[in-house]
Amino acid sequence: MSNAIDQTRRMLSLVTYLRERPGARVGEVARAFGVSEAELIGDLNVLPMCGTSFRGGDLLDIDTDGEHIWWHNAATADEVAQPLRLAADEATALLVAARAVATLPGLRESDRQALLRACAKLETAAGEAAGASSRLSVTFESEGGVFADVDRAIAERRRLWIRYYSPARDELTEREVDPIRLFAVGHTYFEGWCRLSEDRRTFRLDRVAEIKLLDEPSDPPPIEPRDLSAGLVQPAGDDPEVVVEVGPGGRWVAEYYPYDSAEELPDGGLRVTLRTPDPGSLRRLALRLGRDGRIVSPSALADSARDAAQRALAAYGER
Amino acid sequence: MAIAKAERLMNLALCLMNTRRPLAKRELRLSIEAYREIGTEDAFNRMFERDKDDLRELGMVIETVEALDGETGYVARRDRNRLPEIALDAEEAAALSLAARVWQQARLAGAASGALQKLRAAGVPFTEEGYGEGHSVIEPHIPAHEPAFEPLMLAARDRRPVVFEYRKASAVRPETREVEPWALECWRGHWYLAGWDRERSARRVFRLSRITGRVRPRGGRFTAEVPDHVDVRQTVASWAGEGATSTARIRLRRGAGYPLRAKAVETVPASGEWAADWDELEIPYGHGLDAWLVEFGADAVVLAPEELRADVIDRLRAVAKG
Repeated sequence: MSNAIDQTRRMLSLVTYLRERPGARVGEVARAFGVSEAELIGDLNVLPMCGTSFRGGDLLDIDTDGEHIWWHNAATADEVAQPLRLAADEATALLVAARAVATLPGLRESDRQALLRACAKLETAAGEAAGASSRLSVTFESEGGVFADVDRAIAERRRLWIRYYSPARDELTEREVDPIRLFAVGHTYFEGWCRLSEDRRTFRLDRVAEIKLLDEPSDPPPIEPRDLSAGLVQPAGDDPEVVVEVGPGGRWVAEYYPYDSAEELPDGGLRVTLRTPDPGSLRRLALRLGRDGRIVSPSALADSARDAAQRALAAYGER
Repeated sequence: MAIAKAERLMNLALCLMNTRRPLAKRELRLSIEAYREIGTEDAFNRMFERDKDDLRELGMVIETVEALDGETGYVARRDRNRLPEIALDAEEAAALSLAARVWQQARLAGAASGALQKLRAAGVPFTEEGYGEGHSVIEPHIPAHEPAFEPLMLAARDRRPVVFEYRKASAVRPETREVEPWALECWRGHWYLAGWDRERSARRVFRLSRITGRVRPRGGRFTAEVPDHVDVRQTVASWAGEGATSTARIRLRRGAGYPLRAKAVETVPASGEWAADWDELEIPYGHGLDAWLVEFGADAVVLAPEELRADVIDRLRAVAKG
């Protein structure tokens, strides 16, 4: 259920919308307003309690039989049914998002132009409410060439061949992928069915070293798209546990790795417990941390980081 | 049963929009059932103030007029509350409906769909399919999970100073910072704040994830002038080691270190005993390069400059000791 503010906002627009559309269909109105039919019916139950003066008896006479919506005294509602100006947050939300998407390298030029035109018109219509939008900005990172190829492969339902860099193993692998979706959350990624691992995989565009569109059709098995709101990396419950202790200079670990727990340490550091399907991949983390932190467990991982550092020192002729 | 807040707000909005003369608080209290049910004058006054603020958040311009008899009147004038004509073609409407789905932050996501509802009610031709054939298939998302985001966004919007506890990158303890927040920027999925640090009398950039505890209002107004253009990204990019002005020379095992190769300004096969398996690269030398190179273990060896080589060896020793 939405909150009272969102509901009020919606009902104010509903009044304007319904006035122009006698007998509007419940299903269509719900879709137009981005709510479920039950939520819309909830609004339609409140509206007849609202009026321009309760005592005068001039309540909004809006009712529905569950299929159509009728407003019997709409003609008297001139003053309240005008389209309302945008609030500062509303203008900001649309303008900041549209400007951000327009800067995505690789976006189709026609889309970029449409976004920029829409922004210009919206700024004019919003007037002073648009002012605050300059106080927020968002940049997406993307690789324009790779973006355009993935975009085209999805539109044309074609398979991709990529050379992809895996930071965990510091290696490039070649694979064929049936792309499913292209999305941006800070960085830009694509999700697809990997024919090498026969599993769904997510690829970050700036780690694609080479890409080719194949003539073969893409044929991914039907899979539910992942819910991205919970974060990109979602460790499984049975993944092995790794404990890392960091000093104040290593607290960034908690900002970059999803963790189960982060306990404050007396020196201003953290004891971070996290899970990963591939603990070996955290050897790089241990190396990167230097004196700012260390792997506590599993001990085999701690040993392998130590070992890697000793071999590297040997390469410098040090020990 | 108490009347739901949405019904009360709706009635207040309709009353204020429908009147041609300013209405006194007393009249509004009599007209709106939810207000008549309130027991005490104090409780009513508090509720009325909050409700007006809520409607203003929704974009309503409510004017306050001093009437002749000393009583304050309220009115939402039609001309000041009307959305001006906006003619969007189907492509522009589709672009905005894509933009409206971008926010993963509750307040802005709600505001974005509210904006679309207003535009739709004003006759903008949104189609239900939204972005279909002929458009990029991109799904952009803007995350804003940091608890400090919403209070800072509102403070920057309304130009209100704030106080918060902030832990610098390697500080043992957080420190109290008193800041006039200018602008927020999201880069690589993280939010940053640029503003005037009152104690230091200087412009500073803060990373929102390093703010601990609540962001509190400080009261009063901004004291420093807000610059026309606030570039957060440039500062943050330099933290991330970008915009390097010098280069380093490294020896890299063939097949290893693709991201180093992608950044290299020059790559040649190594000479002498290293020729068979190694390359020599010249790469930009910015902040944080030492920590990054250590990740490649024995596959990357710094040749020059000497200070970078010493930093990397130093880091490796710390890890080797365990």
